[in-house]
Amino acid sequence: MVSLARKNLFHDRLRFVITVAGVAFAVTLVLVQVGLFMGLLDKSTVTIQHANADLWITSHNTPNVDFARTFPETAVLRARSVPGVTRADNLIVAFMTIQLPNGAAEGALVYALEDFASWNLPWNVQQGSPADLKRGYALLMDRSAALRYGAFAVGEQREILGRRFRIVGTTAEAASFTTTPIVFMDYRNAQELQEPLRGNTTYVLVRLAPGADARAVQTELRRRLPYNDVLTREEWALQSRNYWVKSTGLGMSMGVTVFLGILVGIVIVAQTLYTSAVEHIKEFGTVKAIGGSNFAIYRILGEQALIAAVIGFALGALFSYAARPLMAEIHLNVLLSPAFSAVVFAGTVLMCLGAALVSFRRVSAIDPALVFRT
Amino acid sequence: MNDTVLGVRDVTKVFAEGRQRVEVLKGITMDVAAGELVALEGPSGSGKTTLLSIMGCILTPSSGELAVAGRPVRSSDEAALREVRRQSIGFVFQQYNLFPALTALENVEYSLNVRGVSGRAAYVEAKRVLARVGLGDRLGFLPRDLSGGQKQRVAIARALAGSPPVLLADEPTANLDTATGAQILDLFQELAKAEDRGVLVVTHDPKVRRVADRVVGIRDGRLVDGDEEKAAA
Repeated sequence: MVSLARKNLFHDRLRFVITVAGVAFAVTLVLVQVGLFMGLLDKSTVTIQHANADLWITSHNTPNVDFARTFPETAVLRARSVPGVTRADNLIVAFMTIQLPNGAAEGALVYALEDFASWNLPWNVQQGSPADLKRGYALLMDRSAALRYGAFAVGEQREILGRRFRIVGTTAEAASFTTTPIVFMDYRNAQELQEPLRGNTTYVLVRLAPGADARAVQTELRRRLPYNDVLTREEWALQSRNYWVKSTGLGMSMGVTVFLGILVGIVIVAQTLYTSAVEHIKEFGTVKAIGGSNFAIYRILGEQALIAAVIGFALGALFSYAARPLMAEIHLNVLLSPAFSAVVFAGTVLMCLGAALVSFRRVSAIDPALVFRT
Repeated sequence: MNDTVLGVRDVTKVFAEGRQRVEVLKGITMDVAAGELVALEGPSGSGKTTLLSIMGCILTPSSGELAVAGRPVRSSDEAALREVRRQSIGFVFQQYNLFPALTALENVEYSLNVRGVSGRAAYVEAKRVLARVGLGDRLGFLPRDLSGGQKQRVAIARALAGSPPVLLADEPTANLDTATGAQILDLFQELAKAEDRGVLVVTHDPKVRRVADRVVGIRDGRLVDGDEEKAAA
């Protein structure tokens, strides 16, 4: 079959480039913006995802993992007594002030545990070892902190809430949603720094025994700890993400960006296809005169829209994926999954076919008798 | 006539413009037989293009009967009209109406695709008809790279593809120089005679009379004697 759609599309190269550029722009906008959004959300739950806890015990209505609230650390003892629990430990997550060598003060998000290794925290140690945190006032600092704190090195000292700590190692990927750098220290040291933390914790991490019924254990923990929330890892991650999406307007902002991206794509594709349809009106009249139906012309427009969608998406996706390492260098995580890319591809095809519908009405009204008009 | 391939009986066409009714055709009856080349002549506004459109199943008459390839055509059914155009009628237009993005071969192939012929069969048939009109060495040329006469030959090849029994041509020599126009007219004559096809040529060009078997004149929506028409012209 001769593809009049493809031939016409490639015949007018400038219009083709504009159409494809419009689609590619829309695809890039959606992929990068949503990728950034997903990357940000990923940061909001990065510790939940990496800590190998099956259940998290939090104080009532804790909105997200960063904004922790205290409760008595003896709760851990009740947790340990529940059948099906193989291990339970206190975890402190708290904002503290760190003094920089230049005299400035900055925020730090402290994660404190008695035994980091048991909970896979931190999960990406670059230098040193979590075991070193037991050796006095020591801390592991994430590399991303260099952006906020300036350059630092293992062996240097930093003051947190008036107490000098030695940097015994560095980690990677441990950055919070709020961009506050994460530092890891021993549980007791953290409690010593802040009065409200003494005798208190902010979370209890719970690991289930092999074969234990998570729902049953969760129900029992809730019964024994009526002043706490008990959440599975997935529930807790979802709650943390939802907090940022809903309370910050981030979700709405993202929705508007995606909407604008789709709108730009539809307008450009619809406009170029419509102009093309109008310019080829006599050709479509000829198609009808020689026996072609409206459907044959719809197919031409639909095929053109589909070609624009496929090539535009390919270029947009290529650009978006290529931009990832560049954006990573400025600590912007563009999280793109094959599943999400597939959804965007399907959306692009629908968008372009939808845009082609605008031209359908115009071509359906073509009178084949126009072929006899000069 | 038993070998009539195209015929109209008492055909009228009325266009309504607001409250005004314009009767463009006033009871036309005419036939085109197989192997016959008929020239339809008339001044601008006489109704010849409207008659051509009705005989080509593009316009529907207000009243009267139409038969193509020996079969009556129900003018109210758009799908049926389209099918008649696909199977039985080849069109040649004054402006050629080629698809500029398609080569000569693809223009003809596409027409065959519309007629339901595809793949290798369409390719072979397209090559055959292009060779038939003397363009066997111009298959890969785009219309912009062809002369006016060559473009019209491609248009004729497109109309011939699928071997429809009826060929309708609207001012086929209007944009051609005298020599090229004469060649095209000879080709029409040959197509009518050699392939037993009914050819109706709407024209202002007096040279068509040289090759026409019959000249039919039309004035103010009525048929007049062709010679009378010539005298009026």
